[in-house]
Amino acid sequence: MTQIDLDSGLETAYSSEAEEYARAMLNILEDFASEKERLEESQRAVLNILEDFGAEKERLEEVQRAMLNLLEDFDVERSKAEASNLELREAFESLRRAKEAADAANRELQAFSYSVSHDLRAPLRAIDGFSLALVKGYEGDLDAKGKDYLHRVRAATQRMAQLIDDLLKLSRLTRGELNLTWVDLSALARLVTEELQHSQPGRRGVTFCIAEGLVARGDPRLLKVVLDNLLGNAWKFTSKKVEAKIEFGATRMGSRLAYFVRDDGAGFEMTYTQKLFETFHRLHSERDFPGTGVGLSLVLRIVRRHGGEIWAEGEVGRGATFYFTLDTLRPETET
Amino acid sequence: MTDARSILLVEDNPDDVELTLLAFEMNNIPNPLVVVEDGAEAVQYLFADGPYADRDLDDRPVLILLDLKLPRMGGLEVLRRLRHDQRSQGIPIVVLTSSLEAEDVVRSYELCANSYIRKPVDFDQFVETVRQLGSYWLVLNEGVEN
Repeated sequence: MTQIDLDSGLETAYSSEAEEYARAMLNILEDFASEKERLEESQRAVLNILEDFGAEKERLEEVQRAMLNLLEDFDVERSKAEASNLELREAFESLRRAKEAADAANRELQAFSYSVSHDLRAPLRAIDGFSLALVKGYEGDLDAKGKDYLHRVRAATQRMAQLIDDLLKLSRLTRGELNLTWVDLSALARLVTEELQHSQPGRRGVTFCIAEGLVARGDPRLLKVVLDNLLGNAWKFTSKKVEAKIEFGATRMGSRLAYFVRDDGAGFEMTYTQKLFETFHRLHSERDFPGTGVGLSLVLRIVRRHGGEIWAEGEVGRGATFYFTLDTLRPETET
Repeated sequence: MTDARSILLVEDNPDDVELTLLAFEMNNIPNPLVVVEDGAEAVQYLFADGPYADRDLDDRPVLILLDLKLPRMGGLEVLRRLRHDQRSQGIPIVVLTSSLEAEDVVRSYELCANSYIRKPVDFDQFVETVRQLGSYWLVLNEGVEN
């Protein structure tokens, strides 16, 4: 029994030790398994992260591509802008050159009119002066015919002087800046008619009809010249009539307002209406109605500088009407 | 005017000189007309210089008639010099010229010209101009005493 007991005791001792080992081993194995599971989990997480990284990388690459495209577009845009900048600079440059040329031409014109004003008049003074000296100082030596010739010489000289002065006026008025402001044309017309009546106080029988409240934007000095000439012409070409009527007004023609100066004087043939505005061109003889033929070409230039137009209607013996428009919002139109 | 001081005419055109003399004569202006032909000569005359070194500096003209367009020294330069020198500041200067360019008129007055007259082509008018010039500057106007 004892043996057995011993044996069984030993057996018991051994078996409990083995059991303990087995348990420990099991524990270890269990631990390994959970460790493995954790590791696998970590691995999965890492894989997930890697996967995420991949997607992120792809997105980044896409963004990069988009940015590169944008940069390329910018580049195209920039070279386009540079090209148009260059074009603009070239346009400015040619504009500057054109302005320089215009300025030079203007200076030349100024020098020319200065020279005309000074040099062409000097010989005229001598012709007139010495003709008069002959008439006055050598009266006894000249017969009536001789004196008449000298008178003609003097008359021609003075006419030449008048032509020179008118030409100078033409060149002076058509250069220089426009001084735009609101101009009371009705008041200006009244002033001009007063001046006309003052110039010939003996003349009666002229009725002036001036429309009220006509205001336009323009250069007052130049518009005065327009009315001086148009009303002056009306005054001149009605001079052979006992009763005459001179009108200044405005009428709507389509979308435009046309100002007009109308008289019931000598009139003109409509066939020659274009000739009216040519410099030095006249439709009436110097004997009937004196003048140099510069007035209307002056008016034409001024009206055109104001962006407007001028035209005329007339009938021989029935009078004439001159219409003009002013459009200072439009740039200056050249002839 | 009993002493009849001289008038200085600065003019290069012989026709204009002759006509001015004629107009003076027609108006019975007693003052002798001294003629110089260009601006430089005018300055020499007034300051007794060069060919005029022997001239008495105190014998100042009562009036200067000045053309603007002159050879060598132009009329505006003459004006400038005369107005900057005390010896000639008191002498009335009438610009008598052909030009009616606004710039000439403005410059002349800036340089203290006393008057600006455009020579008319009509000689009758010129004679009348000279008559008025004489009665104003030689009779009416009180100048600086010599």
